[in-house]
Amino acid sequence: MNWIAAALVLILLVSLPFVLMKFGKIGEYWVWVSTEMIIMGLFAMSLNLILGFGGMVSFGHAAFFGVGAYTVALLMKKASVPFYLALAAAPLVAAIAATIIGWFCVRLIGLYFSILTLAFGQLLYMIVFQWYTFTGGDDGIHGIPRPEILTPTNYYLLCLLIFVMCFMLMRMIVNSSFGLTIRTVRENMERSKFIGINVRSYQWLNFIIAGAFAGLSGGLFAELNRFAQTEFLHWSKSAEPILASLVGGMYSLVGPAIGAAVLMFLKIILQQAHKALIETWAIVLGCILLLVVLFAPSGLVGIYRKVFSKSE
Amino acid sequence: MAKPVLEVVNLSKSFDGAQVFNDISYTVEEGELSSIIGPNGAGKTTMFNLITGHLVPDRGEVLFMGQDIVGKQPFEIVKLGMARAFQRTSIFPRMSVLENVVTTIITREHGNLNMFKAFRKRDKVYSEAYELLKSVELEGMAERQSGVLAHGNQKRLDIAIALALKPKLLLLDEPTAGMSPEERKQTVELVKNLWERLDLTMLFIEHDMDIVFGISQKVRVLCYKTLLAEGTPEQISANPQVIEAYLGEEV
Amino acid sequence: MTFEYFVFMLLNGLSQGMLLFIIASGLSLVFGVLRVINFAHGSLYMIGAYLAYSLSATLTDGSMLSFLALLVAVPPAVAILGFVVEVTLFRRVYREEHLLQLLLTYSLVLILDDVVRVIWGGDPRNVARPDLLAGSVDIMGLALPTYNVFILVIGPVIALGLWLLLYKTRTGNIIRAAVSFPDTLGALGVNVSRVMTATFMLGCWLAGLGGVLVAALASVDLGIGMEKIIESFAVVVIGGLGSVGGALLGSLIIGVGITFFQLPFGRWALVFPYLVMAAVLIIRPWGLFGKPER
Repeated sequence: MNWIAAALVLILLVSLPFVLMKFGKIGEYWVWVSTEMIIMGLFAMSLNLILGFGGMVSFGHAAFFGVGAYTVALLMKKASVPFYLALAAAPLVAAIAATIIGWFCVRLIGLYFSILTLAFGQLLYMIVFQWYTFTGGDDGIHGIPRPEILTPTNYYLLCLLIFVMCFMLMRMIVNSSFGLTIRTVRENMERSKFIGINVRSYQWLNFIIAGAFAGLSGGLFAELNRFAQTEFLHWSKSAEPILASLVGGMYSLVGPAIGAAVLMFLKIILQQAHKALIETWAIVLGCILLLVVLFAPSGLVGIYRKVFSKSE
Repeated sequence: MAKPVLEVVNLSKSFDGAQVFNDISYTVEEGELSSIIGPNGAGKTTMFNLITGHLVPDRGEVLFMGQDIVGKQPFEIVKLGMARAFQRTSIFPRMSVLENVVTTIITREHGNLNMFKAFRKRDKVYSEAYELLKSVELEGMAERQSGVLAHGNQKRLDIAIALALKPKLLLLDEPTAGMSPEERKQTVELVKNLWERLDLTMLFIEHDMDIVFGISQKVRVLCYKTLLAEGTPEQISANPQVIEAYLGEEV
Repeated sequence: MTFEYFVFMLLNGLSQGMLLFIIASGLSLVFGVLRVINFAHGSLYMIGAYLAYSLSATLTDGSMLSFLALLVAVPPAVAILGFVVEVTLFRRVYREEHLLQLLLTYSLVLILDDVVRVIWGGDPRNVARPDLLAGSVDIMGLALPTYNVFILVIGPVIALGLWLLLYKTRTGNIIRAAVSFPDTLGALGVNVSRVMTATFMLGCWLAGLGGVLVAALASVDLGIGMEKIIESFAVVVIGGLGSVGGALLGSLIIGVGITFFQLPFGRWALVFPYLVMAAVLIIRPWGLFGKPER
C-alpha cells in the first residue's frame, strides 16, 4: 500500500506542471518554483545522509552545491560542453572536492567537525570570490545556455526524474549494509570502533556521497537560474538544508525534501506579502530554527522513533 | 593449552607524567578463563584500553596471537579476533536489540561496504543474531529498542555484541558492575557457560572477590603500578603481599 | 626584504594578531566554561563594530576623548546583549546534546547578521581615528600607523588582564575550575549558572572591544563577523579550545602569517589560516596547548 501511495504522489507530481501551465504566466512562475523545490529537496536530502543518518553536523554543505553549480556553468559557458555532459560532471567534481575536504574533516568529531566544515565552506567561497578571471568573482557567471527542448515543463520533469532516481539510490544506500554501518557509527562511535568498524573511512565515504548528490543539485540549480554566483557557496546557503532536515524530520529519507518544499513555500508567501520582507528571510529562518531547537527536539526524536521501529 | 593468545611484555604507561604502569609483563594462554583485580584506580580499565589499541603504551609490547599490535587502531585489532565488553555499558541505544547484533555480524563479515544489497535480506545474518541473543537469554526482547532495556539486560547485550565478533579473546570489563546480587549470580553463570560452550579465551576485570575466585583459573593482581601477583585463586588468596595491599582493607 | 621592512611587517602582523586575540580569547573562554562553541561570537563582534560606528557618528568631534568613550561604552553594551542571550536562550541547552547547542548558536548568527543588515545596510562603514592616533610612528625609517601601535599596546594589556583575572582572583579560580572540573563545581557551593553568565558576558565584552577597535582600523561591512569567527576558530583550533594562552599564540601566528603572506600572494593570504589549521589538525588535532580528549 506504500507503493500505491508513492505512485499516486508521483502521478500528481508529474501532472502538476501541465495543470499549472493552464494558468498562464502565474502558472509558469509556479512551475519554476516547483522545480526549485525539487532541487532544494535533493540538496536537503543529500545533507541528511550525513546529518540524520551519519550524525555529522556539517555547516559547509553549500560548498558542494556551489561546486556543482559552477561546474555546470563553467563547462557550458567556457568549454561549450553540452548540458547533459556538464550535469553529469557536476556530482563528479563535487565528489572530488568532498574527497579532499572530507579527508580533513572526518579526522575530527562533533563540534570540531562542524567548525572545520564551516571553515572549508568559507574557503571555497573565498576562492570563487577571489578568482575573478576564472569564476567571475562576485559577478558570477551569467547566460548559461539552455537546450531548446528544456521548456519550463520539461525541465521540471527532468528534475523530477533525477530526483526520483536519486531518491531510489539513496534509499538503497540507506537500507544497505553500508547504511546500517553509518547509523551504527552515529549511535555510538566508540563502540563502533570496538566492533571493528573503520569509523573514519565510513564517515569519509558518506561525506563524499553526500557531496556528490549536493553537486548534482547545484548543477540543476545553475541551469534552472541560468547563472551561478558566489551566493551558492555562502555559509547561509548551508543553513537551508539543515533547517529543511530539522523541519521535515532528520531521521527519514524524504523528510528533508518535504521540509525544503515547506520552507520554500514560506519564502514565496513572505515575498508575495511584502517585497521588503524578503530582506528578513534569514531572520525568519533563524527564528524557525530557534523555535525548533528550543521547543521541538523531543518531537523530532519522536518522529525518529516512529520511523525507526517501523521500517529500518 | 600453553599456546599464548595475549602476551604483554614490559608495558609502561604514564599520563601527564604520572605513571600508571611500570614494566608489566604477563601472558594469557589459549582457553584460559582468567581475571585482573586491583584496588580502585589501579588502572584496570586502562590496561584494557592499552590492549585494545584505544591507548598507546609508552614502552613495551603487546602481542596478540604472536603478532605485535602496538600502534594498531582498535578496529584493526578487533578484526584480528579480540573483542571487549564495557564497564559502562556501550551499545547502540536507538537500534533494536536484534539490530545491535546484526550490525556487528555484518561488520565481522566485511560485507558492510556493500551499498547495493539490502542487509535485511540476509536471512543467515538474522538467524545467527537470533541464536546469539538466545545464548544470552535476550531472545524475547529482540525487537525492543535497546536503549530502554534494564541495565542488566543492556550488559548482556554488550556481551552479545562482543560475542557476535566470534573473538578468540574476549575481554570483559566488570561484567557484573551495577547489578543486583541476583543478577550477578546469573551473569556469572552466563559467563562461565559461554566460556565452556564457545571454546573462548576470556580475560575479565572484576571487583567482586567471590566472583573472581569462584570462576577464574588464574588471577592477576594490579597494584602500585605493577603486577603484584599472579596465580591460581588459592595462591592469590594466600599471598601475604596481596592480602596486605588489597584484600586487607576489604575483608 | 630589508631588516627594517621585516620589523615593520612583523609589528604590523602582531597588531593584527592582537586584535584577533581579543576576539578569539572571548570565544575560547566561553567554550572553556560553557562547553558551547558560540558561532554567534563573530556576529556580536560585528554588532560592536556597527555600534561604535553609530555612536561615533553622533559624537563626531574625532577627539581622543570621544574614542575612549566608545571603548568604554560599546563593549558593555555588547556584554548586556550577551547577558540577555545567555539567560533567555543558552541556559536552556547546556544539558542538551551538542547538535542542539550548535544549531542554537547558528540560528543566532542567522538572526543577528540579518538584523545588522536591516539596521545598517550593506555599505562599508568606518570610525574616524582620533587625532591622537591618526598619525604614524617612525620605525627605522618606515611609517607605522600610530593606531596599530595603540592596538599593539592594548592587546598585551588585555592578555595581562585576563591572566590576572584567571590566575589571581577568586572568580578566576572558579572559572578555571569550571574549565577543568565542570561536574564538581556545583558540589562546592558555587553558583555555577552565575559563573557561566559572567563568563559569557566577559566573552561578549571582548567581542565588543574587538569590534570598536576594528571599526577604526579598517572598514566595517557585513562580512566581517563571518571572517573573524572563522579566523577565531582557526586560532582556537591551533591553540587548543579553552586555552587563553593558546589563543594568544594562535592569534599571533595567524596575524603575522597573513601579513607576510600578503606580500607575495595579495588577497590570497586569507587562505593562510586554513593552511595552518589543516597542518595542526593533522599533526596535533587537539591544538598546541590543548589536551587530547579522553
